[in-house]
Amino acid sequence: MLEKPCIQSRGFKNVERNGQVIGFQVNIRSLYYRGLWLSQLRPATVTVDGETFSGDQITWTINDVTYTQAEMAELGDVHWGLLKPATLTVAKEGGLESGSHEIEVNYTYSCSYFPPVADTVLGGTQKRTLILV
Amino acid sequence: MTNKVDINIKPKRGVSLYSYAGEYGVTMSLEDMFAEMHDMGARGLEILANSHIEGYPNPSEEWLENWDRLIEKYDIVPVEYGHWVDSRLYQGRHLTAEESYEMLVRDFKLANRLGFTVLRTKLGVINNDLTPVENWREFIKMALPMAEKYNVRMCPEIHAPTLLKSMMVDDYVEFIEETGTKYFGLNIDFGVFTTQTIPASEWGPNEFIMPESDHSPVKDIIPLLPYVYCCHAKFVKMSDDFEEMTIPYEKIINTLIEHNWDGYMVSEYEGPKKDVPGYAVEQVRKHHVMMKRILGE
Repeated sequence: MLEKPCIQSRGFKNVERNGQVIGFQVNIRSLYYRGLWLSQLRPATVTVDGETFSGDQITWTINDVTYTQAEMAELGDVHWGLLKPATLTVAKEGGLESGSHEIEVNYTYSCSYFPPVADTVLGGTQKRTLILV
Repeated sequence: MTNKVDINIKPKRGVSLYSYAGEYGVTMSLEDMFAEMHDMGARGLEILANSHIEGYPNPSEEWLENWDRLIEKYDIVPVEYGHWVDSRLYQGRHLTAEESYEMLVRDFKLANRLGFTVLRTKLGVINNDLTPVENWREFIKMALPMAEKYNVRMCPEIHAPTLLKSMMVDDYVEFIEETGTKYFGLNIDFGVFTTQTIPASEWGPNEFIMPESDHSPVKDIIPLLPYVYCCHAKFVKMSDDFEEMTIPYEKIINTLIEHNWDGYMVSEYEGPKKDVPGYAVEQVRKHHVMMKRILGE
């Protein structure tokens, strides 16, 4: 079972490549009541302790496949279901120190059965303090 | 000879799993929701394809086998499969008729495999009056032969603020009558009959409150019944003495009984505190007490 908040505490960790820490990861679950096609998602921003990341600084891993945010805009047949969190990987040289961090994730999504104006409204900012062990 | 009304000709009870949206994946699994329905004697199931089919639109064989097992174990009747034509799937343009058609057919196949015969087909809209996309007639017409092949009926949901006597409903009825199809109909959401609202203070700070709108009189459903293959038994709040506080349920259900409508009413809880564990579950239970009483079960 998932944790109730959008931002999950499990999965919060630094990411290493070739022995270097190149960023960190945080898992989010969708709080919308239905899954979403990736092209319905509008690009996310992630803020950690006041520092904001966006665009190609963030990738989404969904069902074990990693996408750039630009790629996602074209993927109308890949689905993000409700039972599996997406992993956001944020490029940040050196990663994060062990301890508490204030995390904010913001994204919206289109919903065709609501009036078009809703596309910029649904979703929004989620906040949680997470502990990196 | 008997004057008794045939007790088999009656609306039937079901549940839309949307009701448990705040619990799904957090405190309730698919099996928990089926067990809850079984416990209430609510056999008719509505799922939302994008929500409840793990791995959608390509569920694994293992998931499908488990589905079959759960349906049998809990004596569930798959009734309505909720799906969407996501017309604004790509930023900056609407789906073409061909793309919309393909989206529909993908769901016809899956719905058929899972045992559903009614689809709640949600169409994209273009304005605040919820007017459907301009090409809906084109792709629905294209899809009718495949709907027949897979034995599924597409039913747009008529939802507040839409009125039963409105251009939108007239357009759908005209389409049904012109084509003579049995594979396109209507799902009436009982929210169209809302006569009261609950105080705003009952809603939490982050909850969406439906703006007040005009409502339809219950009798307006009568001429539509030949086209209504499923109803969303929407509700907002059940009182402790098992009455729904915003929608005239007794009148609605009695009207359905009088007119021999024997489809499923699937409970759809759309009230406050969905995210409070156990709250929606209790509300749905109360709703079924009320429906049983009115139905004389």
